[in-house]
Amino acid sequence: MSKPRIGVYVCQCGTNIAKMVDCEAVAKAAAALPGVVLAKTYKYMCSNPGQEMIVQDIKEHGLERVVVSACSPRMHERTFRAALATAGLNPYFFEMANIREQCSWVHDDPLAATEKATALLRAAVLRVAQHEPLEKMMVDMCPDVLVIGGGIAGLTAALDIATAGGKVTLVERTGALGGNLARIDLTAPYLTSARDLLVERVSRVRSHPRIAVKLDSQVSKLSGFVGNYKAEIVSVPSNGGAPLEIAIGNVVVCTGYQEFDASRITHYGYGKLPNVITSFEFEAMLRAGRIQMADGRLPKNVCLVHCVGSRSPEFHSYCSRVCCMTALKYAHEVHSALPEARVCDLYVDMHAFGKGHEDFYKKTSEVKTLFLMYKKGDRPVIRKAGPDDGVDMLIEVNEQLSGETIEIPADLVILMVGMEARNDSYEVSRLVNISQDKEGWFIESHPKLDPVATTTDGIYIAGTCAAPKDIPDTVAQAHAAAARILAKSARGRIEVDAVFAEIDENKCSGCRMCNELCPYSAIEFDPVKKRSHVISAVCKACGCCVAACPSGAIKGRHFTDAQIIAQIEGVLA
Amino acid sequence: MSYEPRIVGFLCNWCSYTGADLAGTSRIHYPANVRVIRVMCSARVDPTFVLKALRAGADGVLVCGCHPGDCHYTEGNYKAMRRFALLQKALRDFGVEPERVRLEWVSASEGQRFADVVTDMTERLRPLGPSRIKPTLEADAVER
Repeated sequence: MSKPRIGVYVCQCGTNIAKMVDCEAVAKAAAALPGVVLAKTYKYMCSNPGQEMIVQDIKEHGLERVVVSACSPRMHERTFRAALATAGLNPYFFEMANIREQCSWVHDDPLAATEKATALLRAAVLRVAQHEPLEKMMVDMCPDVLVIGGGIAGLTAALDIATAGGKVTLVERTGALGGNLARIDLTAPYLTSARDLLVERVSRVRSHPRIAVKLDSQVSKLSGFVGNYKAEIVSVPSNGGAPLEIAIGNVVVCTGYQEFDASRITHYGYGKLPNVITSFEFEAMLRAGRIQMADGRLPKNVCLVHCVGSRSPEFHSYCSRVCCMTALKYAHEVHSALPEARVCDLYVDMHAFGKGHEDFYKKTSEVKTLFLMYKKGDRPVIRKAGPDDGVDMLIEVNEQLSGETIEIPADLVILMVGMEARNDSYEVSRLVNISQDKEGWFIESHPKLDPVATTTDGIYIAGTCAAPKDIPDTVAQAHAAAARILAKSARGRIEVDAVFAEIDENKCSGCRMCNELCPYSAIEFDPVKKRSHVISAVCKACGCCVAACPSGAIKGRHFTDAQIIAQIEGVLA
Repeated sequence: MSYEPRIVGFLCNWCSYTGADLAGTSRIHYPANVRVIRVMCSARVDPTFVLKALRAGADGVLVCGCHPGDCHYTEGNYKAMRRFALLQKALRDFGVEPERVRLEWVSASEGQRFADVVTDMTERLRPLGPSRIKPTLEADAVER
């Protein structure tokens, strides 16, 4: 057999790869490998011109195999396989070397990184020479969806999917729908009532014939793959009953956030000073209709403290995005409920980035609110006032704009607590097999181009489980996740990799070892022939049987012994 | 140049490979000694792959799969674990230092853990010096 003609492309990814890996040297080394007829570098292989270059080269140079050395195959393997298909080449005649996520981004020695990239590319070239043409398989796509979390995101996604005809199981850990939004009074900047926003959605969800709401419940297990997941739902706390098993095609994770624990910043005195409360405790007061101090008196001086737990190196480095506008809303609500009260707003920077926010800031500044700017890392100090001060507390702040240290009176201090990933976010990430960033937020498939998908096919994220965001952004993400799922479900079937195990009956000794090993019972024994065979539609291609067969009779398609051994030799050559 | 161990890493697609990618997107640095080969499941790692890698000059072999109970294929990691125990026993009998082969669980969310495992393994391999397996086998072949 003559060696297949291989084309190699080394992506610079702008400077993402090129700043650490000498791409020219990597391409030059690849050009000397057996079968390689061309080796090029390019700024962005995934761009249209990059893909077009592959298509053109396949036609002009008669390429039979293609290797792209770039980002993770989890990112763009599909993109490049499609380019091969466009050029009329079997998409499985393609291999990627991951020299970004697993090389340029994680190493700091350019020489070592270049050597490693060369080895990874060599492995990919040797592997691709062993590739075999495969055909894609179509499998049924279950149109039903599991939504985890019954806040505004979960409610929105559930309604979209159910309206389109899918059945939705909405699992909520607490005894009520609404999530954190149900704890809020009015919303900034238009002062619409959170209750009004929720009531409509909740009643539509509760009465929808295709939405099953499971309150006081959680998902205990998820197995399967896109289009064909199985979930188990148990009650919280467990009542010992058998879990409810459902079949679904996709999952939307909308598990939301929890508020920062204000007692972690000790010198704000939260938990010790009775009139230092969190924004959520203030919301509860607003919902109850009375702003008051711990002893029931009406406060004369209300003070708002921004960035509690947010934008600080000791706690959370990020901005929680909603607190600035919420604080302005409080100023507004205090003024309308207690026209005599003075409101003081202690902020670091005023973030008024959203639609209508700047106008709201302007409007609030015009009514009597004293804005004092403190420096990040130099927090105001709150202390109990003396008996002669005529006020409950005194706050000392090094004011930035005047450059002076100012002492202000306060009867009620509201700490604008930020958002943080929920304590159980790690368990959720493990349950649905998605990633978390260093702060615990769930990671999207692509931060800009694919913000609601995850690295696991069929698992979507929406709302504040992915990062702090306001209500409109949360709702938009929920709609987006639903739309992504509906777009896939519309065809009824999805394409999956034609990757499964197959048994060479001539080599099979009929020992049946594989029959027992297969977790899917995808291997059947033919008692007449005394040979085993794989039911390819049931096989999930884990390759467990392949590694176990004592006769070497089982081939794991696209992960054959020859292909993996070629890689081993490639990385070590 | 000082000795740098070469590690071949077999990573399962669903947890560990994704975890290694996460180390990248999080820019968590670790030594460049590991060269990763992606498999769908740690249960696909035929013990002969490990032997093959050692024979081809690897100073260490790292196998990573999903945490127990988390396997994408339900229980592949348990099978990998059992196989690995036998393999390690055999390797010990051959005189291969146990530090040279390692099985670790790394989930899709554990970019830091992957970096830590690679860093730790690299540091443990350095004092052992280069593996003698490849030169010994080559010398044997010449003698015959």
